[in-house]
Amino acid sequence: MGAQGDGEKLASSSKLKSAALLDMMKEHIKGPEGKGLLEKIGLVYQMNIGEKKLGFQEESFVIDLKEGNVYKGAYKGGKPDATFSFADQDFVAVATGKLNPQMAFIRGKMRIKGSMKAAQKFTPDIFPKPSKL
Amino acid sequence: MSLRDLVMGGAGCSAPGVGPSTANPMAGLADSLIGGAAKQQERLRELPGLAGPEVGPSSQDFGRSRLQPPLPGFELDHGIVGPSGPRGQEFLQGFNSHNQGFSDAWDEALRPGFPHGPPMGPEAAHFEDFERIYSQQGPMLAGPMPEGAPQQVLAGFLHSFLDSSRTAAPFPAVKLPELGLSQMDKERIRNRSSIMARHIFADKGPMFVENQVNALLQSLEIDRNPELEHRMHGPMGGAFREFEDYWAEGAPPVNGPGHPDQWAAEFQNKLRLQNGNHWGEEYARENSSGGTWGDEFAQEQGDQWAEEMAAQERQRLGLLPGQQAATLDQTRQLAETLSQNKDPKFQNSKFLQFVSKMSRGELIMEDNAVREAAAGDGWANEFQVQQTRGAFGGPQQANDWASEFHREQQQDPQGWADEYAQEQAQGPKDWADEFGDQVAKGALDIDESGWVDSYNQFLDESRGGEASTSNMDYKFAEQNPYMGHPAPLREGQDLFRRGLLSEAVLALEAEVLKNPNSCEGWRLLGNCHAENDDDRQAIAAMLKAREADPTNLEVLLSLGVSHTNELEQQEALGYLRSWLQNHPRYGKLVPQDGSAEGLGHEEVVNMFRAAVREAPEDADLHTVLGVLFNLSREYDLAIEAFRQALQLKPKDYSLWNKLGATQANSARSADAVQAYQEALDLKPNYVRAWSNMGIGYANQGRYEESIRYYVQALQMNPMSDNAWNYLRISLSCAGRMDMVELVDRKDLDVLAKEYPL
Repeated sequence: MGAQGDGEKLASSSKLKSAALLDMMKEHIKGPEGKGLLEKIGLVYQMNIGEKKLGFQEESFVIDLKEGNVYKGAYKGGKPDATFSFADQDFVAVATGKLNPQMAFIRGKMRIKGSMKAAQKFTPDIFPKPSKL
Repeated sequence: MSLRDLVMGGAGCSAPGVGPSTANPMAGLADSLIGGAAKQQERLRELPGLAGPEVGPSSQDFGRSRLQPPLPGFELDHGIVGPSGPRGQEFLQGFNSHNQGFSDAWDEALRPGFPHGPPMGPEAAHFEDFERIYSQQGPMLAGPMPEGAPQQVLAGFLHSFLDSSRTAAPFPAVKLPELGLSQMDKERIRNRSSIMARHIFADKGPMFVENQVNALLQSLEIDRNPELEHRMHGPMGGAFREFEDYWAEGAPPVNGPGHPDQWAAEFQNKLRLQNGNHWGEEYARENSSGGTWGDEFAQEQGDQWAEEMAAQERQRLGLLPGQQAATLDQTRQLAETLSQNKDPKFQNSKFLQFVSKMSRGELIMEDNAVREAAAGDGWANEFQVQQTRGAFGGPQQANDWASEFHREQQQDPQGWADEYAQEQAQGPKDWADEFGDQVAKGALDIDESGWVDSYNQFLDESRGGEASTSNMDYKFAEQNPYMGHPAPLREGQDLFRRGLLSEAVLALEAEVLKNPNSCEGWRLLGNCHAENDDDRQAIAAMLKAREADPTNLEVLLSLGVSHTNELEQQEALGYLRSWLQNHPRYGKLVPQDGSAEGLGHEEVVNMFRAAVREAPEDADLHTVLGVLFNLSREYDLAIEAFRQALQLKPKDYSLWNKLGATQANSARSADAVQAYQEALDLKPNYVRAWSNMGIGYANQGRYEESIRYYVQALQMNPMSDNAWNYLRISLSCAGRMDMVELVDRKDLDVLAKEYPL
């Protein structure tokens, strides 16, 4: 952590709660605890997060569970296995287990592009839960 | 519009307010035949020609016809998979395949308590999710669906339909679980909802009534126009090739009474006869003599469907005069329950007046008349409504059979009521009974099944927007034994010291209700909530404390911490900055000209660093710095800051927890667990640390341990939604699906026995 190139914090350039959460995700998958996740999933997800509303003023993030990285922007390695669109708080709700992804999908709070097989592996347990100070 | 258009599914035959593809008659037919009556039977036995991928057409229509556009966010669906597209189906279905680890996990995380069953046909699988919720009480894939749970869901749903009359809010169409409604049930609901809606919403105009009823029927997967279901048995339009193919596979070529005009004529004749026989049965009979595909259909898999019709018929015939006493009794009960509904609109409705009359015996049913009226009446209502709003192309068609219905309807104004009463007499399982019971019980009592909960929650969300997160109002407990306590603040402080957080919360609530400007009361209350792992309530209370005293440093720090926990970075930064600003000693380090408002994270950190240079022995400075570095996710620096603070204040349990949380958030959960243990040694009832401990173990993939800690946290504070959610995830990761069900019921006793710490 610190100043190396990919140590850039997502949340420093974003006001989204999702960015803060994805920063934790980044720590998680780069550390020893995330190793299993890469083996288990091995896919690349792109997240398009709208600040207030799905589809508006979106910021993109990549959760690369092949290489073990999380960064802002679109996927650099071609086409992600699946792309998800969320409103900020809905993504946080899904990642923290408040909102079940299937319900989110059915209610139109989550949209998916790409491989369904990949999308099915996108479950709340891949995200580390934020510990409370 | 010509009848042909209706048969072919022309644009105008959609119900208003519904997209052309959603209410097309084909979809209606598919729904009613395959999605409705046949579905149950499909589970009972594999039906030739209906099992497997051949139900494709209905699956295709499934999404379009049942998931209506009002779902939020659908307007943007371009190239992105919505639940309705075939790939959406694939997606949803994928969750149900029980052979992949992760989709399993998802599946299980979300759908607790479901015994792993054999994979179902694609159609059944789509809403397996919901089905399993009620199948918990009965056998899966075998036997008729249990009566209880779907009834409950249905009742809850119908109840909210009635509620919509009070709010006058448009009733949203929602996807309901498969309720296993028979054709007969559907027809009954259709008839009655139209009738009731017109009375309940009498002052809203016919369009409103229409929309309400449409929404209700859509949600229940009942086709708006029963006649279409039959009318559709004609030649298929090119637009429905898939469907056509499907029929072609399972049935001989269509001929028979297919020609629309011909059919209409027959139909008209049949209705004129009014001989009391149910049209469904009659239809079946006519077709069976013709050797048409309808016949085939009936022989292949429609027998039960026809039987249902016949059963209904028998039931009607069985309503003997001797039963009138029972009817009277039933209606009296109904009148009583209904009269408990305080809504004046409802009280004045003709419906209630009618039921009252019935119960007083002022109206007497004659079963013959009733039966005749009932047979034609549901239709008549439909048609009258259709006719009124001109959906069928207006009143042109001079020979219009619909107007004939209209006339009949007028001849017998009591028809609907009779029908209603007659149905009412049929049994205690009746829709109206259920409905009335629910009205009497009130909304809160129906939430026994989680499904109803989430449905209501969904309604709330769709109506009220996302008020929940932005709503900062403090929520008081409804019942508080400390109300009237002579010294609630002292009591609360005492309880807090003894570690009885939830009790302390109540005492302090009594305090702040007594003294709304008690900064100390609100502050300690907020603190209790923070230690009880509820940051929303903590923030709400702390905001009140800040109103009482805007410069209280503890309050400002707590607000900074809680907002950090809630990932609200801007708010957190603001409070931490004002902590320094309001500090008697370091306040001078902050520009006092008002420019401090715009300071970014880096500047604020620099000011704190300047303060630390000035007073390195002040533990609080290190603490705030630690929080600030958490905010910027500079975890190494944050850990360093908390360690410094701990050297100065080693007995501060909240510091140990902060250190642990920072370590856990930076993938050092093993260290974190040790720090939490320190905190718990100092304060055994520190719910937040117990909960964090669970997260720490879960992060390491040690789910069994994490479960024990979550359960422990929940035993101390069963209100912690976070802990419940995390517990559910850990249970499913640990493969304890049997326990997930307990989470849904919030049943801690068994969990605590299974996972003692």
